[in-house]
Amino acid sequence: MDSIFCYRHPETATAQAGPLQGLRLAIQPNFSVAGWPTDAGSRALAHFTALEDATLVERLRQAGVGLCGSIRMSEFGFGLASSQAGAALQQQAADAELVLDLMGESRLAAARAAVCGFKPSYGLVSRFGLIGLIPSMECCGLLSGSPNTIREMLKRIAGPDERDFSLPDEPVPDFSLPTITPPTTTIGVITEAQNPLSAEEQAQFRAALDELNRAGFNLRELSLPDFGLFSLVHRIVGSVEASSCAGRYDSVRYGKRAPGARNWNEMYRLSRGAAFGLLVKSYLFQGAFFQFERYDAYEDACRLRARLVADMQRLTGQVDFLVLPVAAARAAEALAEHYAQFATTLFANVTGQPALYLPPPSGAAQAGVQLAGPRLSDARLLALGEYLVNSRRRGNP
Amino acid sequence: MDFEAVIGLEIHVELNCATKLFCDCPNRPGDEPNSNICPICLWFPGAIPRLSQAAVEKAALLCLGLGAELQPRSAFDQKVYYYPDLPKGYQLSQAHLPLSRGGGIEISDEHGKPKKLRIHHIHMEEDVAKLLHEMEGRQPISLVDFNRAGAPLVEIVTEPDFRTPYEAMEFLKALRTQVRYVGSSECSMENGTMRVDANISIRPCGSHQMNTKVEVKNMNSIRHVGDAIAYEISRQSAAVLAGEAIVLHTRLWDPDKKVTAPMRAKFEGPCVPDPAVPVIELSPDWIEKMRGRLPEMPAARAERFVKQHGLTGDEAVFLSADPEVAGYFEALTGEGVAPRTAMHWLTTQLLPAVKARGQELSRSPVTAARFAGLLNMLARDEINANAAREVLTHLFDSDAAPEAIISAKGFRQVSDQSVLDALINQVLAAQPAAVADLQAGQGKAMGFLIGQVMQASGGKANPKIIRELLAKKI
Repeated sequence: MDSIFCYRHPETATAQAGPLQGLRLAIQPNFSVAGWPTDAGSRALAHFTALEDATLVERLRQAGVGLCGSIRMSEFGFGLASSQAGAALQQQAADAELVLDLMGESRLAAARAAVCGFKPSYGLVSRFGLIGLIPSMECCGLLSGSPNTIREMLKRIAGPDERDFSLPDEPVPDFSLPTITPPTTTIGVITEAQNPLSAEEQAQFRAALDELNRAGFNLRELSLPDFGLFSLVHRIVGSVEASSCAGRYDSVRYGKRAPGARNWNEMYRLSRGAAFGLLVKSYLFQGAFFQFERYDAYEDACRLRARLVADMQRLTGQVDFLVLPVAAARAAEALAEHYAQFATTLFANVTGQPALYLPPPSGAAQAGVQLAGPRLSDARLLALGEYLVNSRRRGNP
Repeated sequence: MDFEAVIGLEIHVELNCATKLFCDCPNRPGDEPNSNICPICLWFPGAIPRLSQAAVEKAALLCLGLGAELQPRSAFDQKVYYYPDLPKGYQLSQAHLPLSRGGGIEISDEHGKPKKLRIHHIHMEEDVAKLLHEMEGRQPISLVDFNRAGAPLVEIVTEPDFRTPYEAMEFLKALRTQVRYVGSSECSMENGTMRVDANISIRPCGSHQMNTKVEVKNMNSIRHVGDAIAYEISRQSAAVLAGEAIVLHTRLWDPDKKVTAPMRAKFEGPCVPDPAVPVIELSPDWIEKMRGRLPEMPAARAERFVKQHGLTGDEAVFLSADPEVAGYFEALTGEGVAPRTAMHWLTTQLLPAVKARGQELSRSPVTAARFAGLLNMLARDEINANAAREVLTHLFDSDAAPEAIISAKGFRQVSDQSVLDALINQVLAAQPAAVADLQAGQGKAMGFLIGQVMQASGGKANPKIIRELLAKKI
């Protein structure tokens, strides 16, 4: 079990009474739980213990969820290389997991574990108590065996939080189960989103589209020639944000302070040098480059981001949902490879829209798919996932 | 060669809000070190800043008071630098979208000519922690006090419109007055609630080019700002004449040696927008509502004092410079005291007395109502000026009404002719030489004789009536 969990807690037995009582939740150690070690997988936060519960942790606990422990994560949740996300579900050691989603980690981890993985709309769930790296791109992902469990959890954690004023002032979506009627529902397929796939993956994706067809949904081809720019925009904006925000991980108050510094400038340099792993360090270097040497490129990337958000709004306005492929997770050392594996997922982090990974039916020769909708369509999106799961259970198609 | 200085100021003003800018901690930097702190202002992992509405209001009032234009959208950015006074490695400041743009203050320059000094923009930012460098035995140590971390600041950045130290000092005095008026800050350089950095460059007179500037910090009074600028102008002039290049750097003012010396600059880069702090959006309605909360500003008040109360320009400017003094003056006139009497007694008697006692006018026991009571009795000749001055000291020591003090201590002026006649006869008999002088046409003797009668009356006689009676008798 220790290969999955970095911290275990017996609380599951003593969970509060509530609608979600009995649900065992594993979290990553970047979601604050008062008194738990919360190092976000980084030496820069070694031995840091959270003072308060994150808002979403607090709300889930009040709903009766039992926290069973923390699962191993990549440094600051960046990528899946040393992450055990999804494994606690696979091993049936938990019924749900909270997994930070910066570029698609929760959805790729779900694909790896053949479970459902959901990234909510940005701004729907409080980020208070969440330790991360790219504030404008990341949010908490939810993993579980069924879209219904995810919906039940999201219902409890969504909505305004007086401790996170960055949440936009928007009405909370209605989480009562919307009806899905396939003949009147159109699902868009973005042609260019299939470009990063291998031939085999493309065939499996087409098989997944066939399932939607058989279920009676209308499929519609859509084109977004700039789909490849999501990666570029994420890489520049994300790395600059990370480089600036990671300033707080300086190993002065907590974390591992490197010995041998003669003054405090050296202390910062040596400690940060020793604290961060290779991938995060190269990401921070890249961000520092754009921030200090090519700020104009960062500004261009921000403008491009606004354009991509508008492009996606235009596409989602033409259909009810989108369906996109998910490429299999691959081990990545260099930043470029790292980005390549998230090529079809990071659009949702750039635009802030919700996305659900739905695994294929067991034994089928088709890929899992990513379903997406406009911002705040979370409840409808999860209802679609639920509909597909149920229709598989009924054996049709 | 004659040089002309080009000077711009960056003024940090600490807002007098009850709480810090991004958390509910009390905004009292002077408390026991590290007593006003929380996970937000210590920037613990997972903390999210929560912008104070009160701070935005105080900052907006300050902007409006300086004639600046509030921007419909402003936002916070991360200003990256690594220093132990800043635990998160960046300061939240409005680098790209400031709270207001424009504005300015009109001063009188050295030659009495009006000159408008423009403000480029005003932005909000958080203050950083205070570092204390001490010795523990032979080991130098640095202590960090986070009480000030996150305190709400605004930074007022001027255009490089200043040419002389005098203009800078006049601007700062007027700025202080205006900010005190709107009630956003005490603006005390001594207490650090107003901090001024000056950017100074020089150029040959007649030239319009902008040369490399030098930033000067660490002045803790308006006087020092003037001295530091004057020093820096002469230092740069000498350097240029000696053929040295001026390089961009920061210097610290040394108030003891009265020189500036170079300091090591902090590493600073471009600022990145902070997604955790929402954009500040100000609607036209809200801005108008804030404008409605602006008090009458000092220049307008001074003008009104001249028109309404017949004060001279200088008197009006002096009275209106401090909102408390101006308010007190108006309270006196409201109680029926003649404006000139109010102005005269307030500035020459009450203010020095308050200051000598180390009090503040607003908390002095001599309320405007009590002081007006005294001045009105003076106007009705019930007491004379000497007695009024005496009674004033009693007003500080007891809370009795001035009428009661005057009755109890016997300060009431003697205007009864028969009593005064007797006193005058006494004095005339005792001072034949002065009587002879007066009869010989020496006017000075009259004053002497009046003084003698006053003395004989124990200071209570009405000098006006004495003069009349004496004139009749001689």
